[in-house]
Amino acid sequence: MISRSMEAQEQDFLYAVALNAMIPLAKERTLQAVYYILRGRKASQTVQDVHLYSLYPYYRMFPHFSKENWDKIVSNLVQRDFIQVRAVASMNGKSTFLVTKEGVQYAAKLSSQFDLHRWFAPFSSELAINRLDTFWKKLHLSVQTVSQIAEARMDFLPVVTDRRIQSWVKSQLSSAAARQMWQAQLGDELYELWSPYPVQVQQILAGQLTGARQTGRTTGQLAVEMDLAPSYFQLLFRYGLASSAERLQREMETFPVLKNLLDGEWQERGDTRLSESAAKTYALVQRGHSRADIARMRRIKESTVEDHLVEMALRCPEWDASAYLSPDLASAIVHASEKLGTGRLRLIKDHLGAEVSYLHIRLALARKKGEATS
Amino acid sequence: MSKNLQAHLQTYFGYGAFRPGQEEIIRSVLAGENVLGVLATGGGKSVTYQLPALLLPGITVVVSPLISLMMDQVQQMRAQRRIPSTYLNSLLDPTDMREVIREIECGIHKLVYISPEKLQQSYIQALLRKAGVSLIAIDEAHCISQWGHDFRTDYLRLPEAIRALGNPPVLAVTATATTAVRKEICDLLEIKPEHVITQSLNRKNIAIEVIPVPDETERRTQVLRQMDELKGQGIVYCSTRQAVEVLTASYQLVGKRKVHAYHGGMNSMERMLIQQQFLSGELDMIVATNAFGMGIDKPDIRFVIHYQLPASMEAYVQEIGRVGRDGEAGYAVLYYTWEDVQIHQYMMEREYPTRRQIEQLAALLRQQKTPTPEMLASIEMTQEMADLLLFYAERVSASYRDEAAATLEPGMELLHHPDQVYEELEKRKLLKQQKLMEMIRFVQERENCLRKSINGYFGETEHESTLQCCSVCGISRTLYKESSPTASVGRKEVNWDLRQILSVLLPK
Repeated sequence: MISRSMEAQEQDFLYAVALNAMIPLAKERTLQAVYYILRGRKASQTVQDVHLYSLYPYYRMFPHFSKENWDKIVSNLVQRDFIQVRAVASMNGKSTFLVTKEGVQYAAKLSSQFDLHRWFAPFSSELAINRLDTFWKKLHLSVQTVSQIAEARMDFLPVVTDRRIQSWVKSQLSSAAARQMWQAQLGDELYELWSPYPVQVQQILAGQLTGARQTGRTTGQLAVEMDLAPSYFQLLFRYGLASSAERLQREMETFPVLKNLLDGEWQERGDTRLSESAAKTYALVQRGHSRADIARMRRIKESTVEDHLVEMALRCPEWDASAYLSPDLASAIVHASEKLGTGRLRLIKDHLGAEVSYLHIRLALARKKGEATS
Repeated sequence: MSKNLQAHLQTYFGYGAFRPGQEEIIRSVLAGENVLGVLATGGGKSVTYQLPALLLPGITVVVSPLISLMMDQVQQMRAQRRIPSTYLNSLLDPTDMREVIREIECGIHKLVYISPEKLQQSYIQALLRKAGVSLIAIDEAHCISQWGHDFRTDYLRLPEAIRALGNPPVLAVTATATTAVRKEICDLLEIKPEHVITQSLNRKNIAIEVIPVPDETERRTQVLRQMDELKGQGIVYCSTRQAVEVLTASYQLVGKRKVHAYHGGMNSMERMLIQQQFLSGELDMIVATNAFGMGIDKPDIRFVIHYQLPASMEAYVQEIGRVGRDGEAGYAVLYYTWEDVQIHQYMMEREYPTRRQIEQLAALLRQQKTPTPEMLASIEMTQEMADLLLFYAERVSASYRDEAAATLEPGMELLHHPDQVYEELEKRKLLKQQKLMEMIRFVQERENCLRKSINGYFGETEHESTLQCCSVCGISRTLYKESSPTASVGRKEVNWDLRQILSVLLPK
């Protein structure tokens, strides 16, 4: 029942997302790297890229995206001259790409057409995305269970089959007092949480819920009913979940039952500007531990600690990096980068000489970028 | 006693009377005999071990081949019948596992569902033995048969496990077993002929039709039309996920009724929602692979359409058996073209490892005793394939030496006897071919009653029918058509009201 116009909408949406994700990575990464981000690959390189280029909204946007689909999108964008693929000797024979002026314009046009900025807004760190699935399942099963309790019919098959989620809901509702509280509050809190959202987002969230008197619809069914392209539908769904979680985190006292859906780590985690692992490293750096110390204490590679330092340089302007990079060297690197017109490490290193390390260059560039965006 | 049993049936299950065969099976089980029960799909097999479980001391262990089926049953037992039960399988994480083990030790559960491979583990055997096992029920017992369509290597090792549990009585149940398969089950589990309790597999209220079609276009046209016309809710079975997707999409373009796809590639939440929509009548039809139907107990399914040729008579009978469990008129129609045979041939080729893969596995096993899923994936081998190979390697080498030394190094055995293992595989392939040939023979039948050939295949002579018999005997489809079809799709335009929706979901 997917109509032709909807197919066109789906295609446009995919181009919008792909192009906008490509722009920050142009000339610095391969097209493959963009694909990995959209797929939500767990490899550390991909996660680092997400952090360094602030691509949080894009991470795991299309978890089921096949390589064939991706190649089709790329070849279409190349054909329309929105992007150009470039082979570069210094990237171990890998090829990077650049986005043409027309490409940038087209990306901006599509971005406003789909209102991407609005839907991307609640994605401030990648960590949320990994937890949204659990958050949604807990919410879904809580609603179904409380609905059944209200009807005094406990002979139901839970739509969420995940055992861990089931025992979580069971433990939440184990006492009579808790059951009473959930039953009294849940509907009102959901109304409070969701009523500010656009109607479409409300429909996507509430339409999937199952209760004693109503079976929820699948995302596919709702997308067809609402006449939304499947991927665009998913984005609105993710927006709904992420902004729900974000608001619950901010206003816990307004949502005495719903706040329980956020897990412990979510409620109390380190520096949210950083990835979880980098936040731990930062805490140790602040206590004066060295790179090697931290690697040993945390049982991670020293190169991983370096990745964290780069993240800190990018996101934590208050951090004094002079132990790793003198201000003079930093400005020399930035200068070289500007002169050469590249952010690529190898070229800058070749220009400045052997005593400058890759870490120096990465820290300097991250610092500069952090200043530019903050 | 009889009155007593019926009272229990009423109390725990809410049924007024036993279905044919059930009571006899339960009585023999309670008398401590080893029993084989052959009941038609929808004949209430599970009651035959669930009721004794409540009456016997200790626990009843239920061996079940499908994890999803296990979870469904436990859910139902807990929710609807309030019978304490649990399951043990490879999907439990260590924390849950410890919890379940503790519960079993405390004697909380009456029923413990278990996968055959879990039952092989000695600490599980020790745990169950200590808790006291009064009965071992073996669901889908036809999986024991090497010559059956669903052979599971772990089922052949069941006798050892039964001994390890202290030789409690055994109840084997199945819905599809030819005479040869029944004999195999009885030999392996030491069931006496007088304790084989068979209920006729003939489903009198289901009319059977077979329609040959020249090509895909013609088939699609006919099936799409029937999906609009047939009365009540139904299932359309396809051989592949892709066929499911294509047929669903084309029906949704032209059809009048509510349809959704169902297959193993969908996530579990989607599958549960679709299943519940179908159970509650919100969906008219489900287009599915054979992943749909196991463990679904819906009495008023009115028809099953086979869009393509099933792989075996056993699979076919199981799938049409979901029609009309309420005893009202039902209709089963099967379409086929010659291309269907090729699809099955292709799937069969992919199901079994090649000679080269056998050697690759042997090499892997020399490095590491239990290869990881990634290692298997690197030689494009599934876990099932690897298990099958190891099973045959073990058996082949056992015939070369004395039994005590038979389970030394599966990798070495595979390395030393690849030819024999490959031969065994060839035999299994051949068997599947034969099953397919039986299926083809059945659909080509133009002279003898289809009901007679189905029942004859399972060694039965009964062929009575309540309403209409089959397309060879003559059938009138109008009986199964909706007299005045009404469209059930079409968007209802209602004003969105979040408050109202939430108050329906969560009334106070």
